[in-house]
Amino acid sequence: MKCPPYAVSVRVADDERRRVRLWLPLFLLWPLLPLLLLLMLIVSLLVDVASAASGRRSGYTRLMLGCLRVAGEIKGTEVFVQARSHNNRTVGLRVR
Amino acid sequence: MGDDRSRILELLAAGKITADEAARLLDALESGCGQSDDPETAAKSGAKGGSTALPKFIHVKVDSVKGDKINVKIPLSLVRAGIRLTSLIPKQAADQINKSMAEKGMSFDLSSLKPEDPEEFIEALRQMEINVDAVNGDVIRVYAA
Repeated sequence: MKCPPYAVSVRVADDERRRVRLWLPLFLLWPLLPLLLLLMLIVSLLVDVASAASGRRSGYTRLMLGCLRVAGEIKGTEVFVQARSHNNRTVGLRVR
Repeated sequence: MGDDRSRILELLAAGKITADEAARLLDALESGCGQSDDPETAAKSGAKGGSTALPKFIHVKVDSVKGDKINVKIPLSLVRAGIRLTSLIPKQAADQINKSMAEKGMSFDLSSLKPEDPEEFIEALRQMEINVDAVNGDVIRVYAA
């Protein structure tokens, strides 16, 4: 399982006049991740235990771990849109 | 070697290959990797990441005749993880998802995806290259590199 993304950069430019650059330091949220993961793990385990007690088979804990794996693989995603027909707006998104 | 470089530059000038493909092909020529005699064919295989490098991303590029451009780069590992995720969805949730998709007109069974399917799908994606030249001049390219 890879580490989650550490930053997201967003760039929006409108006809070279207005520019918005946003850099989101997601690594600042990393200290909160263990607590959040622990809470999610507890909830998913409780749901799985309750389902097993009622005779149904579920796998929400595995699903949660799979979601975490997907979140880690998002790194490297890039989206760039240039719309000349809309004020030459440029939107760039990069997940690092 | 000089003829190959000239041919690559001619193909780039003619728009038959992109700048990325030309750069990769030139790098391959300089490193002395085995390439086909036809630079255009080699460019197509070069666009797939060279002779030995495994593609790591799926690129979706749209060039509209109006000047709009869209470039999307998605890690192949994300695609693999997403496909594997569908096999982890509990049955009750999967049934509800299938039902909702069927109501929207998409009859697809999530439980039909098996764990071995992602590797075959990823391998197919690595070899995939889609080029669409629309009548109105729009160009769409989907490839793995």
